Amino acid sequence: MEQLIAPWDLDGSLGDLYVPPYIEEMAQQVINKYDFKVNNMEVITTKADKGGLIWKINTTKGPKSLKILHRRPTRSLFSIGAQEYLVNVKKARIPVIVKTKTGANTVEMGGKIWFVADWIEPLTPVSADLEGAKLLSHAIGEFNELSKGYVPPRGAETSSRLYRWPKAYKKISKKINWFKHVANLYSELPASKTILNSADMFDEQARKAWTMLEKSNYQSLVAKGNKEWGLVHQDYGWSNGQMGPGGMWIIDLDGVAYDLSIRDLRKLIGGSMDDLGRWDINWVVGMLDAYNEANPISDDLLEILLIDLSLPNLYYKNVKEILIDPVLSLNSEFDSVVQRIIEMDQTKWPVIEQVRKEWRGGKRKWKS
Amino acid sequence: MEVLIVSTEKLPVPPVKGGAIQTYIHGTLPVLRKNHSITIIGRDDETLPDKEIKDGIKYIRVTGGLLETYQEGVVNFLKNNKFDLIHIFNRPRLVLPIREVAPRSRLVLSMHNDMFKREKIDPEEAQKAIDQLDKIITISNYIGKEITDLYPDAKPKIKTIYSGVDLDRFVPVYSDKGKKIRASMRREHKLESKKVILFAGRLSANKGADILLRAMELLVKRHPNVALVLMGGKGFSDNGMSDYIAYMKAIADRLTIPVITTGFVQPDQIQNWFIASDIFVCPSQWEEPLARVHYEAMAAGLPIVTTNRGGNSEVIEVGKNGLIVQNPEDPQEFANHLSKLLSNPALCKEMGQYGRRIAEKNHHWDRVINDISQVWSEIEHKIKNHLEIGNQSIVKVEDEYSSLSELVRYLLGEESTENEPSIPRIADKVSQVKKKPVRKKLPSKPWYSSEKAAIKANKISF
Repeated sequence: MEQLIAPWDLDGSLGDLYVPPYIEEMAQQVINKYDFKVNNMEVITTKADKGGLIWKINTTKGPKSLKILHRRPTRSLFSIGAQEYLVNVKKARIPVIVKTKTGANTVEMGGKIWFVADWIEPLTPVSADLEGAKLLSHAIGEFNELSKGYVPPRGAETSSRLYRWPKAYKKISKKINWFKHVANLYSELPASKTILNSADMFDEQARKAWTMLEKSNYQSLVAKGNKEWGLVHQDYGWSNGQMGPGGMWIIDLDGVAYDLSIRDLRKLIGGSMDDLGRWDINWVVGMLDAYNEANPISDDLLEILLIDLSLPNLYYKNVKEILIDPVLSLNSEFDSVVQRIIEMDQTKWPVIEQVRKEWRGGKRKWKS
Repeated sequence: MEVLIVSTEKLPVPPVKGGAIQTYIHGTLPVLRKNHSITIIGRDDETLPDKEIKDGIKYIRVTGGLLETYQEGVVNFLKNNKFDLIHIFNRPRLVLPIREVAPRSRLVLSMHNDMFKREKIDPEEAQKAIDQLDKIITISNYIGKEITDLYPDAKPKIKTIYSGVDLDRFVPVYSDKGKKIRASMRREHKLESKKVILFAGRLSANKGADILLRAMELLVKRHPNVALVLMGGKGFSDNGMSDYIAYMKAIADRLTIPVITTGFVQPDQIQNWFIASDIFVCPSQWEEPLARVHYEAMAAGLPIVTTNRGGNSEVIEVGKNGLIVQNPEDPQEFANHLSKLLSNPALCKEMGQYGRRIAEKNHHWDRVINDISQVWSEIEHKIKNHLEIGNQSIVKVEDEYSSLSELVRYLLGEESTENEPSIPRIADKVSQVKKKPVRKKLPSKPWYSSEKAAIKANKISF
């Protein structure tokens, strides 16, 4: 029976770049299916707990990436199909998939999908300022726009989050109640009190966002369907969007799924505000404008974006760590992290309200 | 008859990898094959040949995984093989593609989940599929109702056939065999002096094990002697565990009672945990079709606490074989019910015995087989008499008690008030018998576009 790739470093003791020998052997077999020779290969990153891996390989045909996708093969074929569609049909600045000797996009080995793509050089991160944020916003707007019309190939399963927003909102509220419960059970730990004092407020925010989503035009928007909305990267940020030959490049498409296009922008805005330490109307409007230029945002969709921004995303993302090991994580350092999130949250609401009032269809009434 | 059974694309038959539908098919075959020539098409598996004849049954195994891929295999097989009856399991979306290549076969669909929901199948396709079926067998009234709520004219075709349990394997805790297993399990897991509460199923929020853990927090004050067993799923020890499992572990770590997570238990071993327990709890939060663990708990002679979600409460007679939680999100309600049972061992025993009697009377495999046989006989009758699809003429009623509620009424000494579609007398149907069968014309091109199909592909459960 064929050996299957299994997560290989469950306790994290083997180091980030460790690769089990049987996977290295498989890599050689995979490489043999391609029409190039590999001079050297370097592990770039691993998902040891899930069974994913990226190598940079220097080949006789230039630098390439060799990847093992950790997801189900049928799921991985969805993202591979998307990458091919975006590059070949839409001419997006996304790495070209290198075909095997027999003309296939992928190799299946060890129960996983492997593939080779061009390694884009040079790629440089954009500057960590508003100008950089605008470049990123414009690039992801372009990506969302170009991905419309994608239909997955035969044998690929469809990955869509388009219809799942209400469920996702409810889940956030539910999990915040778990945080509260855990903080209660472990009330003697330094950060528990802060969690207990804030959970109700953030739960209320999540519930309110859910109610607003229900009242919004979400249902009529999603009724347009997956293909019309196109893809969302789902893991976009300052490393998966970089400046390269000819403009901004977008890499690591493994998690793409059909969704309302502004999901990526919401995450990008939230992440940027987190880096900035406060919500800033100039940033938000600048990013909206840049995105809107590449992929116009309708009023209905803007409302969804604002609702999505009003979820306690930052709190949720950080505090869910306490579930994994309450005793270890509910320390005083974490307490100040949560305190900071609570303070930042206060700066969010005026910005959301101002955008709601003053930004419409890219024509900002607001003047600084 | 020449019968083809179409399993799902997810797991192979026989159930070497588990699966409720696969277990169901496997459990009913040995008897059904005596009167019919049976072929089963299912997904491939590395431990099983793609074609084999075993115990008089023909197995065909085609590529599984994605429904689209599987459908191709099924359709290709049917292009060269003809059957009188095709019995499809849990995949309404296979009905029309099968009809295309099997225009003369009679089609029966068994529904184990809510696969007729709008997000699972396009309403137009669903309606057309229903039109092509002679019978829709559902594993609970709840599943039947979910179908008729959306497609009212499916009603005369729907028949609930409750599932069964192996009564020789799931023996009552109070039987001699049960006592032995119970003693050894309890010794092995240091539970000799404990009141054991059992949960069986995946550890996911849908199944509600977290609510049960929270109920334990409330229960321990009055009943410090309990232990909780969470059977199935991954257990707490896995790295890379989900937030949910982490949350459960965080609760369990603070409980003063033992919480045992068994991890995956081999399908042929699960009865041991039932037999080792005192109370069975199904804290399901979702609209569950009707979990077979209820039959297993009844067979093992355990009192049951379940929720009013989906079809689960259909097999509970409140106060007789179990109790029903009305607000499944509320740990306190679970704690109240459990406290009542824990304080009253005589009641537990009585309920367990009553549950066992229900299982013996109504949930043995022979009864399930009998019900399926009856459906097949109706089809055979229709074929012989050229009755059109959807004609609900029933020639014989073999079962004395065709549903649990009827049995319950019998046990209660009530008259049957079963509000089922009346059984038409054959005389009423003579005019229809004489009619030539009208075959609905099928469009030459499939109307289920691959795009729609692809959209739904990731929403299939098994």
